[in-house]
Amino acid sequence: MADKPIKGEKRFFVTGNEVVAWAALAADVDIMYGYPITPQNEIMHYWTRLAPKYGRKFLQTEDEISAGFTTCGGVFSGARAFTATAGPGNTLMQEPMSMAEMMRIPAVFVITQRGGPSTATVIYSQQEVTLTCFGGNGEGMRIVYSPGSHQDLYDYTIKAFNTAWKYRFPTFVLGDGYQAKMRESVIMYDPEERGVQMEPTEKIVGKEGMPGVDREPAHLRNTYNTEEELNVVVNELVDAFWKAAPEIVEHQEFNCEDADIVIVAHGVVTRAAQAAVKELRDQGKKVGHFRPITLRPYPIEAMKKAIAQAKEIILVESAEGQLDKLVKAELYGSKVPITPYFRPGMGITSEEIVEFINKKG
Amino acid sequence: MALAPNMPKAWRAETKPHKFCPGCGHGLVLKAVGECIDELGIQDRIVFGCDIGCSLLSWDFFNTDAIQTHHGRTTPVLTGVKRARPDRICIAYMGDGGGYAIGSQHLVNAASRNEKVTVILVNNCNYGMTGGQMAPTTLPGMKTETSPYGRDVEATGNPTQGPEMVSAITPEGAYVARGTTANLRQLKKMIKKALETQLNGTGFSFVEALSACPTNWRTNAKDTWNFVEKEMTQYFKVGELKVPGEKEGK
Amino acid sequence: MQRIVEAYIGEYNSGKSEVAINRALDLLNEDRKVTLVDLDIVEPFYTLRPLKKELEKRGLTILAWETQDTMGLGEAGNIIKPEMKWALRREGDVILDIGYGVEGAKTLNLVEEKEKNPELRIYAVLNIGRPITSEEEDIIEYVKSLGPVNGLINNSHLGNETDVEFIQEGARIIGSAAEKLGLPIIATTIDYRLAEKVGPQDCLGNPIRLLYRYMDRSFW
Repeated sequence: MADKPIKGEKRFFVTGNEVVAWAALAADVDIMYGYPITPQNEIMHYWTRLAPKYGRKFLQTEDEISAGFTTCGGVFSGARAFTATAGPGNTLMQEPMSMAEMMRIPAVFVITQRGGPSTATVIYSQQEVTLTCFGGNGEGMRIVYSPGSHQDLYDYTIKAFNTAWKYRFPTFVLGDGYQAKMRESVIMYDPEERGVQMEPTEKIVGKEGMPGVDREPAHLRNTYNTEEELNVVVNELVDAFWKAAPEIVEHQEFNCEDADIVIVAHGVVTRAAQAAVKELRDQGKKVGHFRPITLRPYPIEAMKKAIAQAKEIILVESAEGQLDKLVKAELYGSKVPITPYFRPGMGITSEEIVEFINKKG
Repeated sequence: MALAPNMPKAWRAETKPHKFCPGCGHGLVLKAVGECIDELGIQDRIVFGCDIGCSLLSWDFFNTDAIQTHHGRTTPVLTGVKRARPDRICIAYMGDGGGYAIGSQHLVNAASRNEKVTVILVNNCNYGMTGGQMAPTTLPGMKTETSPYGRDVEATGNPTQGPEMVSAITPEGAYVARGTTANLRQLKKMIKKALETQLNGTGFSFVEALSACPTNWRTNAKDTWNFVEKEMTQYFKVGELKVPGEKEGK
Repeated sequence: MQRIVEAYIGEYNSGKSEVAINRALDLLNEDRKVTLVDLDIVEPFYTLRPLKKELEKRGLTILAWETQDTMGLGEAGNIIKPEMKWALRREGDVILDIGYGVEGAKTLNLVEEKEKNPELRIYAVLNIGRPITSEEEDIIEYVKSLGPVNGLINNSHLGNETDVEFIQEGARIIGSAAEKLGLPIIATTIDYRLAEKVGPQDCLGNPIRLLYRYMDRSFW
């Protein structure tokens, strides 16, 4: 292995955590900051083993608050930097993530959702949707990708760095403990080979020249004096976010055109939803599946089109209504009833989705 | 299963045999703690707090009330108990990660304020439960899952000297010591003095216990003891650092 | 009858557990008494634990925690059951599934009385589908970092995208590395569903071991 971690493209058999580490290497990421927490530890284990071979750096911090703030610091200096966490670590990291929101710091955060609330389980859930999309004391000006396969994890980890630096919002790869540990084959590639140019970074602090002489000093802040001042700042943030949103939103849909029932699910649950659609179609039922890939900004225009003729939405998630709440807010005014299928902290199989839909009649 | 005759009465029989790995130091430290609870007759006043990590396995260890908190938050939770109910005897039990990494700000502040709680910190130089990552007390050159080429002190600093720090910042009336599972009699004396400090209400009490983790160290019995007795003591000196009423000798 | 004592070591996700389970069951099918030991101690998500009862019903002795005994504690529960340390004192064959870790084969230090069991063989399980063991020089470097190893197992695959050509390519690459390391290839593994496409030996003449998939049901 020489200077490029991935040359050309090749199929490998890896776990989700490893995919993230390799994707970050392939994306020319400079530094990772992190703190141990299950189930994302292998991202760090692999990064610490591989990073020195490619001149990349690592810091294990004292906790997740520090990991988030050190990542912000790395990004300020112009580095492609990221961190990874889960569960209680995600809760702690909301403080630095809020700072990233306010100051439009293009930091990348990888989340491997585990059970919640509190310590709960180290295994899996989709219970960090609200936290990741709307956590901290902000307005949710964050970009959140929800991958559903190892290929997604690879593609969207690379993309996260580009999205972050292009649009200057904190960007999240919202995985989960199952994807983190599952073993699958994936095609890992050098982004350049696929025509993906990495978005250049910028030294937000530390530009060339004498401050005050050759250039303006970078005076960065996240505090304001009056209500009016703040209102202007937040409005600018919000405007910039929604202006960028149409270029950022992504989704997938399966058999929605003539569907009476549309299953809405994200992340790893899309697998079960896709398989359920196949099975139910074989049974002659008109079922489709709408999968948001970005949870923030949410692909609401595409979704409205996909459910235009649907009689019912079945909302399937491994949480107690976190995606549901998000979707309802986006869909307000729609006449299509939404039926929940919530399994907080538990995996969902295609069989149970099929059974649920068949039982309903 | 009933308690064997040499098990502390404060131990809860239903959760024995315990699940700590064979060779783990936690069992020994908790035996010393149990014996102190027995001898001081405070079983019904104890509130025992455990952290995340291997210390988690101690939460139903005793027939005392116990609270499993978040990683690094055992000290503040028990401080909260003690402030509201000073008659409770609060033991905050944690590992080197919970105490010196994520919990360090709480440790520093509880120590500075001389909170009348007892912190027992089990130091085995790694994050055990999550699979052996580097910890603040990992020794120089030691290989862990996040220092696969050996701990580089230039990049990551030296092993944390916890009792030394706590001793430096605590006011008069605190008790600070470092013991070892390799000398259980001495460790037990230290834990007893720590609890007496809390009972007398003179100040913060802190005992670090050098402990073994053969599972993550990947050592057999002989090498395990060698590591605790010879390797760890090169960085962590065993002894009392601060005793209420005694002048700190230097 | 010479007893068989084998330890399967290797990189994270290299297939050690699947190879170990199948080996144990193969020996059981030869009417041998077999003990299978789960020494996965870093972050065991795929371990023998969920399969324990099923495998025991078939006649294997499994030394592993039952999942529900280690769960509910909010953490991965990578703890060693005392009886694992003394596995070599068991009668009959002993197959050890040694989890991954920065120190490679050193996990074997946790097993007592290895000196009294000279028949212990340590086999490194390799998959060229894994990024850091996909090329010959990397494989050689990796195996050297493991410590004492007696043989290599070609467990090359790409999950559902595996084809026979990939497995044979694995045999060739690992075979070349093995020659330079002075180690034998003990076997090439192959999913039983692909068995008829290969004979009893791979393209280099190494014995084939058929694999039945168990580990996909062993998630936590």
